[in-house]
Amino acid sequence: MIGERTLTLLGARAIAVTREVGGIALMTGQVLRALLPPRLDGRELVRNLHRMGNRSLPIVALTAFFAGGLMVVQSAPFVKRLGATSLAGWAAGYAVLREIGPILIGLMFSGRVGANNTAELGTMTVTEQLDGLRALAIDPIRYLIVPRVLAMLIMLTALTIIGDLVALVGAAVVAYLVLDIDWRTMYFSFADNLTPHDFFHGVYKSVAFGAAIALTSCYFGVTVKGGAVGVGRAVNAAVVAAAVSIMLLDFFITYATA
Amino acid sequence: MIELRDVGVELGGATLLRGVSLAVPAGARLGVIGPAAAGKSVLVKVMAGLIPPTTGRLIIDGTDVTGWSEEKLAPVRARIGMLFQNYALYDFLDVAGNVGFPLAQRGLAADALGPRVLERLRAVGLAGSEFKQPSQLSGGMKKRAGIARATIAAPELVLYDEPTAGLDPVTTSKVYDLLRADHDASGATAVAVSSDVAGLVTFVTDVVFVYRGQLAYQGPAATLADAPDPLVRQFVSGALDGPLEA
Repeated sequence: MIGERTLTLLGARAIAVTREVGGIALMTGQVLRALLPPRLDGRELVRNLHRMGNRSLPIVALTAFFAGGLMVVQSAPFVKRLGATSLAGWAAGYAVLREIGPILIGLMFSGRVGANNTAELGTMTVTEQLDGLRALAIDPIRYLIVPRVLAMLIMLTALTIIGDLVALVGAAVVAYLVLDIDWRTMYFSFADNLTPHDFFHGVYKSVAFGAAIALTSCYFGVTVKGGAVGVGRAVNAAVVAAAVSIMLLDFFITYATA
Repeated sequence: MIELRDVGVELGGATLLRGVSLAVPAGARLGVIGPAAAGKSVLVKVMAGLIPPTTGRLIIDGTDVTGWSEEKLAPVRARIGMLFQNYALYDFLDVAGNVGFPLAQRGLAADALGPRVLERLRAVGLAGSEFKQPSQLSGGMKKRAGIARATIAAPELVLYDEPTAGLDPVTTSKVYDLLRADHDASGATAVAVSSDVAGLVTFVTDVVFVYRGQLAYQGPAATLADAPDPLVRQFVSGALDGPLEA
């Protein structure tokens, strides 16, 4: 009996997950369709670019600076033991550009912007604002969702690029303070060992992470049921879905491009 | 003008409407009453094309619009105004932005839009509130802003979902006065859902009673208290004993 009950629960959960994945895929199709031809509300796009990107910059820069420094601190014992100061920049830069930068900034962006987006759309859903748009013959996908998806894609990519640069500065500062490695050595360690491919590898990931965060946060926002409690549940589901998506995408992109 | 033929709605495994047939002629004022969760709001959302009927037909001006896509429905919806139960005022716009939104989306220039918005705000008693955010308005003010938005484009049909829910008696009277004056002037068709029967019958001429997703009664508003159906009589009188189940 216990086995049957467990199987029933597993089956119900699998159906629920499949339904949600299907819903997100359907929304992706609707967003792509709304972009052909692109008819955007420019003001709504600019408003979202500003509040999602500009306001995230300070926290992203702070996190990236210390993440870059952290890479140097972690590698310091080995650099000292082996005397491999010329590789300190490479170690920190490689990890930051390809993995730590996109993942860390993606997760922060999901927690700050994605969760906020789900809560906002969820509140609009339970207060009938989306129905209000439809009643005025305005497509909520085109008017509300597409500008948010584009803003998140553009801004996460931009923030990742900025964050990468700040992280490299952080690594250089910490290397100077902790390992007494001068700026020139760190610069040449970055320049000689890192390739544009390392940089773009992270940028590709940030585009994919941006799409995942945007689509999951919008989907869970517009499918809220059950008032304020439902909004809370949706935010939770969106953050979890975005985090899982980021990790899965990271694995598959790394594996495919290795 | 608007007709429902044997309409049924099922959502999430629940039957919300069953076998509803109803015709609302142009210029009529119809009230929709019934207990909570009877299907009243679903009924007006079906009329607005926001909820597609699972069975039956929705006919507007003789055209069967059942199953039409959102894009195809757009010109039909442009002739309908709707006040939502939860106001549905957009958080990202101020009061003037909300009220002018339907016309702004249709491309009306800002210099023509401003006077129209001010005229509507004056009509609903919200002059001076144009730059307030929806969160700064009281419940009554939100309702009035919602009415101004629903009617600014001079729609042929206006759907009011609980226009006076949560309002005090004086504000309720003001809202119904406003609706009467508006519709006397415009001649637009009105369908109003309300649990406030006493206030509603001062505005509408006919009433339908929705019970468990079905139309249990349809008749003139003036003789509602003497309706032959005991369900309606109990609902109108508020008596505890009777066939209505809580």
